[in-house]
Order: sequence, then structure tokens, then C-alpha cells
Amino acid sequence: MASRTDPPLEIVGITKAYPVGFLARQRRLALDSLSLSLAAGELLGYLGPNGSGKTTTLKILTGLIFPDSGSVTVLGEPLASRGWRYRVGYLPERPYLYDYLTPNEYLDYAGRLFGMGAETRRARAKELLRQVGLEDSADVVMRRFSKGMVQRVGLAQALLNDPELVLLDEPMSGLDPLGRRLVRNIILDLKARGRTVLFSTHILSDAETLCDRVAVLRSGKLLAVGRLDQILDVGVSALEVLVSVPGATFPQLPAGVRVHPAMSERVRLDVPEGALAPVVAAVEGAGGKILSVLPTRQSLEDYFVQEMGPPAEGAWAPRD
Amino acid sequence: MRWPRLAWLLFAPLVPLAQTRIDGSLGAFRAQEEVLYLWSGDQVRRLFPGLEGVMADVYWLRTVQYFGGQRVFATEKRFDLLEPLIDITVTLDPRFEIAYRYGASFLAEPWPIGAGKPEAAVALLERGVANMPQSWLLQQHLGFYTYFFLRDPSRAADALLAARKLPGAPPWLETMAADFLAKAGDRETSRKMWARLYEQQEEGPLKRNALNQLQRLDALDQADVLERGASEFRRRWGRWPESLRELGQAGLLPFAPVDPTGVPYQYDPRDGKVEIAAASPLWRHPGPLGSGLR
Amino acid sequence: MGSTGLSRVHAVAANTFRETIREKVLYNLVFFAVLMTLSGLLLKPLSIRQDEKIIKDIGLASIELFGTLIALFMGVSLVSKEIERHSLHPLLAKPVSRGEFLLGKFAGLAFTLFVNVAVMTLGLYATLWATRRGAGLEMLQAVLAIYLGLLLVVAVALLFSTVTSSALALVLSVCAVVVGHFADVIRNMREVAPAVPTWATQVLYFALPNLRNFDLKTRVVYGDPVRASDLGWIALYAAAYVGVVLGLAFAAFRSKDLQ
Repeated sequence: MASRTDPPLEIVGITKAYPVGFLARQRRLALDSLSLSLAAGELLGYLGPNGSGKTTTLKILTGLIFPDSGSVTVLGEPLASRGWRYRVGYLPERPYLYDYLTPNEYLDYAGRLFGMGAETRRARAKELLRQVGLEDSADVVMRRFSKGMVQRVGLAQALLNDPELVLLDEPMSGLDPLGRRLVRNIILDLKARGRTVLFSTHILSDAETLCDRVAVLRSGKLLAVGRLDQILDVGVSALEVLVSVPGATFPQLPAGVRVHPAMSERVRLDVPEGALAPVVAAVEGAGGKILSVLPTRQSLEDYFVQEMGPPAEGAWAPRD
Repeated sequence: MRWPRLAWLLFAPLVPLAQTRIDGSLGAFRAQEEVLYLWSGDQVRRLFPGLEGVMADVYWLRTVQYFGGQRVFATEKRFDLLEPLIDITVTLDPRFEIAYRYGASFLAEPWPIGAGKPEAAVALLERGVANMPQSWLLQQHLGFYTYFFLRDPSRAADALLAARKLPGAPPWLETMAADFLAKAGDRETSRKMWARLYEQQEEGPLKRNALNQLQRLDALDQADVLERGASEFRRRWGRWPESLRELGQAGLLPFAPVDPTGVPYQYDPRDGKVEIAAASPLWRHPGPLGSGLR
Repeated sequence: MGSTGLSRVHAVAANTFRETIREKVLYNLVFFAVLMTLSGLLLKPLSIRQDEKIIKDIGLASIELFGTLIALFMGVSLVSKEIERHSLHPLLAKPVSRGEFLLGKFAGLAFTLFVNVAVMTLGLYATLWATRRGAGLEMLQAVLAIYLGLLLVVAVALLFSTVTSSALALVLSVCAVVVGHFADVIRNMREVAPAVPTWATQVLYFALPNLRNFDLKTRVVYGDPVRASDLGWIALYAAAYVGVVLGLAFAAFRSKDLQ
């Protein structure tokens, strides 16, 4: 029996292989014994390069494709059960919604599948379209919509049933900066209301700013799961010092300091720990000014590049 | 989740059941209705430009279904549709050789085997000969049918001689032509003719029909013998025998009075005539031109 | 919140019908109406009995033809286009099952066909009345039979579109329709190919959709009677065959990975 204390999502040992090659003799593992668990109310970023298996995972969760082995429990119920679908929302990657319908009509259709009453459907549609900023186009046939607008309707249909668990596949894709901010706010709002969110992305900055935990996927295997500060090296490794150096004479800098020209007279210096004092002295001695000093942490991007490095088996990147 | 299996178990047997019922009640060969629509070969040909060959096959299949096939002696035939169907077939494909041969047989044979229209059969063969002038086989058929069904031995002989001139024609055509002219009406000549046809035909309705005709000739011979027996009886005892059994009791029955297909002969005690029984597959309706030679 | 299977099927069906309207499939009705009116007007000067027969012939044949075209093209786009365009993805994550989805699609299209056929039939009757050649209700028997045949075509198109791409599904469905009209040839194949075993032709005959069963056009135009039991058996055949085909489609669809 599902209970409130069940983890909203529990994936155990999911494997999915695809036959490849001319006579489909070889098998490529899209997912290799993946196990992942979400805690209630958390915001998990599902990261990985294209082809790592992120979308495959989400499609297995939503029943679009079938795993070869393993088990999934959603909101305490087995994957095959229907009940949890009333409480989960899903936004697919690059969603195709019927272009002959208006957003209101689409949401009405979706609402009927949930068994929502007519009044509820209308109210929810109105509310959600307002949240995604489409209230003015609520009755425009979606054939006329830009990709970003369709994406936003997609998000609206994912939240129609006020789900406890929300699965988002690349929710920011196709959106302009305004749209991205909108989505970001919605996601934060979900978190504030105690909903559990799993969103996959390859835009690392989004993950950095929004997520409690991240799961990093590479070639179907989970590389790392955990809080950002657990995965990344949080120690301050270096300092980024912005200086302004007028004139031709460049100060004599200690060894190990990297110089990056910034704008006009500004120069950015990567200063190893402990070398700060001599650098300051050198710059000021040359008549320059210290503009700012910032500690640099390893970013998720650094981590990515470091871990992903050269492509895995084979030079080709299979479809996700 | 057991839906598909349930669907199969429930619905699958209903399909053949319903289909059989429909075939039974509305007729399995409902092509007849199309033919009512399309009453000439030219019209059909105009409807199917580029597909004449295939459509000729289809119409031919339908013709065979109705009038030949495995059930040569079936009784549910629609003879009124035979001519239009064959006409359509050979208009669509004028070189459809078997259509001429089989069509002629279906048309010429009297009821209940065929439509009983020997002139139409001969006209069809003439059309075939016109469209396929190099075919000695069609010429030969023309000759045979003219002889047997139209009882015109001289025209028939001409046709056979014309056939002899064509490439690949066998020499016996000349002998047969001579027989036609010299011994017209003789059962023996007919027997030779049907024997040739029996040899030539591929397995199927025409071969069976030729065999049928040969058996019929034997049956007629046997009927003659039985009639002679009856006459002898009358000569001795002054009356016709009551039945063939009585003939047998008098010792005048040389063989069991059944025809080659096992059906007993029909005997009329009023005039001593012995006929092939109507129930026999060898029976033919007398008709205006008779059922061939007696 | 909770929905019943029936309400979900209904939702899918209603949306499917809306799709066919929005995709302007029903414009063919306009064309048909024009065709009917023209034939009615042009044929008036002809001989007394013939124009009624010709109008009926053209009318019934058009209903069958247009209906078949709609059934084929829409039937194929039902599932294969949905799969190809991924429009199924957001929906199947919701409480609707694949079987309900398929059934809803079929029901929606059956209704579309019904509307189409009904409007075309009204057009036919209108033309007949307008040209002072009345028409009784017997023609409805032929129309009903045509409609039942169209349901078969849709079911077959749906089956093919669950297993293959939209292009191939269309080709296969067209082949099935053509073969279905020559079912009598299949049944009597042994006449010309005696080597084929009887059970094989029987199985083939029953397995292929026999569309000749639904052709009552000539009968009705010539005024031959059609017994109620005949229609009953035809309806039963249609229901049974559609049931089997949809069952197959469901079996194919339920474990298909939707990439």
C-alpha cells in the first residue's frame, strides 16, 4: 500500500538495451542497471550529455518504453498501476501537442482524461495559462504558436492535475530568457509547495541554481548522485582577481598566476591560494587598482568536462 | 489485460460463421451482379486501362467458378451470365486461349452441363481463331464443335484441314477430317474425336467432360444392346418386358443394366426403349439440336 | 479526481472527431454534393427509368468511394502519425491506457464516418427528390452495409498503423481493400490452382476482409429484396471481424516502445 512516507520515485536496477547493427546483432545499452531514488519535496537535476539516457529514463517512467529488467515504484505504486498517474505530471522533450487545438482545448482534453469536472478544468486551464504567460493566446490554434509557446503549454498540461511528482525533460528548451525565467520561477514555486521535481537538462547553470541534488548520467550509467557540494570540489582552489592596469608597464607577477585580458585596461588574474598578497603588492606597485577578488570553485561545467572528457565507446553519439 | 485473447476467443470463430451464412444466403459468387451492370466487354475494357490482363484473369476466374471448376456437374449455374462473362474476358484479353476453349465447352454442352448454345460456342471459337490465327488447336476445336454440336461435317472438315496447315499441327487432323466427311453421324467418329480431346486437355473440367462424353457413347452403345435384348424378348413372348430385371430373368441381359457411372438405365416398358437415366451424370437434355449423336 | 474507462475513451473519441473536422476531411462532402447535383441535372433529359438508376448508382458508389478514402487516410494517420510525431507522449503519461486510446480513436473515426455517410445519403435523397424521382427507404439498406464495410477498413488501417510507419500502413491498407473486393477470387482460387490445399484457401478467405459482403448496391438499385436476417449476418460479420482486428491492434500496440 502506498503511503505518504514512500519515496515519490524509486528506480531499481533499470536496464534497457537496443539492438544495433545491420542484422540487429549487437546491443547497445541505453541504461545500465540504473538505480535512483528521490526524496519527497526535493528538486533533482538529471544531467548528462546527449545520448546518455536521460530521456530514455523518463520515457520508461511514463510507460512509453519498457525496461528489459529492473523495477520502478512511483509514489509507492508499481509502474504498471494506473493510480499514480493521477498525481504525476510529465513534460516531454520538444512536446508535440495537437496543432489543430487551442491551449484551452488541449488542457480541457487532458483534464477529461484525469476525470476533472468541467468547472475544474476551466479554472485550472485559466490559472495555468496565466502562470505560463499565455492567457492572451488561450484560444488561438496552436498551429500559430512558436516553439517556445508550445513548450509553455506543455508545461501547463504537465501541471494540470497539480501533481505531487513532476517529471520535466528539458523544460527550458526553446525558450527565450523571459520564458526561462518564467519556468524557473514555476519550478521554484513547486518546490516551495513541497512538490517533488525531477528535471533533466544539459544546461548546467540551471541545475546549479535550482537543484538540491543532481544525478549525473553518462552512457546509461549513473556517474554520481548527490548534493552539488558533495560532487564538486568546494574547497577554494584559486582566486579570481580583477585588476585595472594602466600604462605599458605590466607588473611583475609571481609564478603560477594566469593572466586573461578582460576589457580595455582590465585584466583578469587567476591567482593560486596564498599568492594573493604578492599579487596585490605588485599591481599596486605598478600603479594599478584591485577591482575585485572572488574565490573560484569548481563549477559543474568543469566537473562535466573533467568527467565526460573524450566521448565514451565509439565516436558516434546515439539518440537519447 | 487479457483483452486480445478474449477478443480472439469470442470474435474469431464468429467470422467464419457469419461469412458462411452470408455466402449461403446472398450467394458466394456475387459477381453476377457486376455483370448485370457491365453488359459488354468494351465497357469493361474502358474502365480498366492498363489492367486488362489482370481483369481478364479475374473475369475468367469468375466464369470458371460458375460453370466449371471442381463442380462440373453442379446445378446452381447461371447460364444467362455465361456469355457476357466470356465476352468480357476475351475482349479484355483477345489472346486468352483457354477462355475460348473452355468457354466453347461451357456454351455448347447442353443442360445441365452447359448453356446449350452451340452456335454461340462456335461463334466464340471463330472469334478465337480470328484473334489467334496461328493456333491450330483453336481451329481444331472449331472443327470438332462444328461437327459434334452443329452437325455440319463439311464445315467441320474444312476447319480441320485449315488447322492442319498451321505450324505444329498433328497429322491425324487429315484422317479425322476424312472421317467426318465419310462417316458423319457415326458414333465411332465421335468417339475418336472425344478421345483426342481427352488426350489433349489438361487436368480439369474439359478433360473430365471429354471422359464424360466417351462414357456417354459407351452408355449409348450399351443402351442399344439392351434394346435389342428387349426386342428379342418381344419376339419370343409377344410383349415388351415389364422391366430390365425381367429381361435378366429371361437370360437376355448380358451385363448389369447400369451405365459406366453406375446409374441404372431407364427402361420404358411401353415401347422397349432404354435411355440414360436423368439422374446420371451422363444425361443430357435433348434440346433443339439434340445432345449430340444418338 | 478519478475518471472511468468509458469517459476516457469518450474523451479520446471526441478529440478524434474534432481532429477530423479541423483537418478539413469533411470538405469532400462538398465535392460529393456538387457531384450529385450535377449528375441529377445533367441526366434529367435522359430516358425515364435510366436517370434514377444512374443517380442511385453514382450516389451509392460515391458514398462507398469517398467513405473508403476517408477511412483509409484518416485511419492511417490515427496511430502512425501520432507515433511519428510523438503527440502520444504527453497523453499516455496520463491515466489513459493504450487500449482505451486505441478504442477511442476507432470510436471517433467511426463517428466521423457516420456523419460523412449520413450527409452524403441525405444529399443523394435530396437529389432524387429534386429530380422528381422519389426514393424509398430501401436504399438505406445498401448505405448501412456500406457503412459497416467502412468500419472494417478503418479497423484494418488502424491495425497496420500500430505496427508500421504511416506510409507503409497506407500502402498495406490499400492492398487490403483491393484484395477485399476480390475475395470471391480468393475463395475459389482452387478452380485455377488445384495444387493449393483447401484449408489454405479457406484460411486465407476468412482471414482477409471480405468487402463484397457489404455490397448490396445492385440488389437495392434493382429492387431485389434484402432480408433482415441477411443484414443481421452482415452486421455480425462486421462486428466479429472488427473485434478480431482491434484485438490484434491492441496486442501489437500495448508492448510497443514509443521512441
